[in-house]
Amino acid sequence: MILDTLTIVLLAAGFFFFFATTIGLLRFPGFYARMHAAGKGDTLSSLLMLAGLIVFNSHHFSVEALLVDLKIAFIMVFILMASPTATHAIIKAGYEAGLVQWQAEEEGKHDLAD
Amino acid sequence: MIWQIDLIVLALLVPCAMAAIALKDMMSAAITFGAYSFLMCLLWTEMGAVDVAFTEAAVGAGISTVLFIAAVHHSRRRVAKRRVGRIVFKLLGLSAAGAIGIILLWAASDFPEWASPDIPPSRHLSPYYITKTLEDTAVPNIVTSVLADYRGFDTMFETSVIFAAGMAVAMVLRRRRGREERTGRRVENGFARESPIIQTICRLLAPFMQLFALYVVAHGHHSPGGGFQGGVILGASFILLALAYDLDFVLKRLNEKWTLILANVGVLIYASIGALALLLGGNFLDYSVLSRILPATTPVMARSHGMLGVEIGVAITVMAIMVLIYANIASNGKYDKGL
Repeated sequence: MILDTLTIVLLAAGFFFFFATTIGLLRFPGFYARMHAAGKGDTLSSLLMLAGLIVFNSHHFSVEALLVDLKIAFIMVFILMASPTATHAIIKAGYEAGLVQWQAEEEGKHDLAD
Repeated sequence: MIWQIDLIVLALLVPCAMAAIALKDMMSAAITFGAYSFLMCLLWTEMGAVDVAFTEAAVGAGISTVLFIAAVHHSRRRVAKRRVGRIVFKLLGLSAAGAIGIILLWAASDFPEWASPDIPPSRHLSPYYITKTLEDTAVPNIVTSVLADYRGFDTMFETSVIFAAGMAVAMVLRRRRGREERTGRRVENGFARESPIIQTICRLLAPFMQLFALYVVAHGHHSPGGGFQGGVILGASFILLALAYDLDFVLKRLNEKWTLILANVGVLIYASIGALALLLGGNFLDYSVLSRILPATTPVMARSHGMLGVEIGVAITVMAIMVLIYANIASNGKYDKGL
């Protein structure tokens, strides 16, 4: 019962952050703001959902379940390291390609919005 | 099979496929093709073909996207404007393509239902594999035993095809004459690429990727995976380092000579295990006779071990060829610092 609740809470939180990420990716102005939403939200929501799966998987404790839990935990570590690095790589490439930061109205309006 | 998921994936898959063809910017087309491969991988998983999905994820979404992007760097990024032909020819072409499409669709209606139990493969072949694999070969993953044992001859030539593909790429692109011709120059792409964050993380992840690749090769009997997937992941770990640092960084550790030697050795391991079976009095690639030289093995276990040996050969060839192809495409055959 407690495990079920925890699973639901984690998965729902993961879903919420994924949803927020998607909205941010679509609605934020400018390249950097969009990548910011994608990088942070994506990592957090994946971690939350995988944590939810670990909790769901440990309903009946056994060695096999523990093995699967460990594998999911390894995937979490991988995502924790790889996802922010990938975001960094994309943003760095954008910065070095000369993308200017988005400013409200006055200058540099169009080159970022698409 | 959950048809709702199939529907969602297909709804995304078809636009991706069309966009990959229609896009005029080759870089976007390469990335869209990667997305297409990933969706294809989801579809395979949904159909229960986990081994195929694994290959699709590693080869289609992983390495081939990198290879496409490397190739785009060395050619023009935009499609050249095509001279517009006469409308009559266009209509002619369209009607021919449409007619063939209709004929194919018509023929497809004669096919049996997908996974129908009445078709000959489901009546004779599949039941044999499903019921006999474990007692024949002691391998729980039927896909591995079909691939490396029952149809081992096919897989040997698949490995040879990969070997030949790598050789062809090297022969077409390679332009290295001697030491003096190396420029040691990075391909100009406008960015200073060194980033300590990316380099540190890639360096940290590469050994674990290689460990995982070895696990995929060795554990292919019991779980999805095998020589092809493991080899591709091994090659990808080198390509990741080449992307984060430069090509020299990788070639210092695995130079061209060694990629060529390893590619040969892999195919040789496969063929010589087959020939060894022949020498011991069995058929070519009949691993069960290997029990005569392997200590303390029954013929059944010998088939399992023979598969492992063959998979190791496949992995070595695939890894070496992946690195070779990447090195040639990324540096346009010059073996300088690459992308």
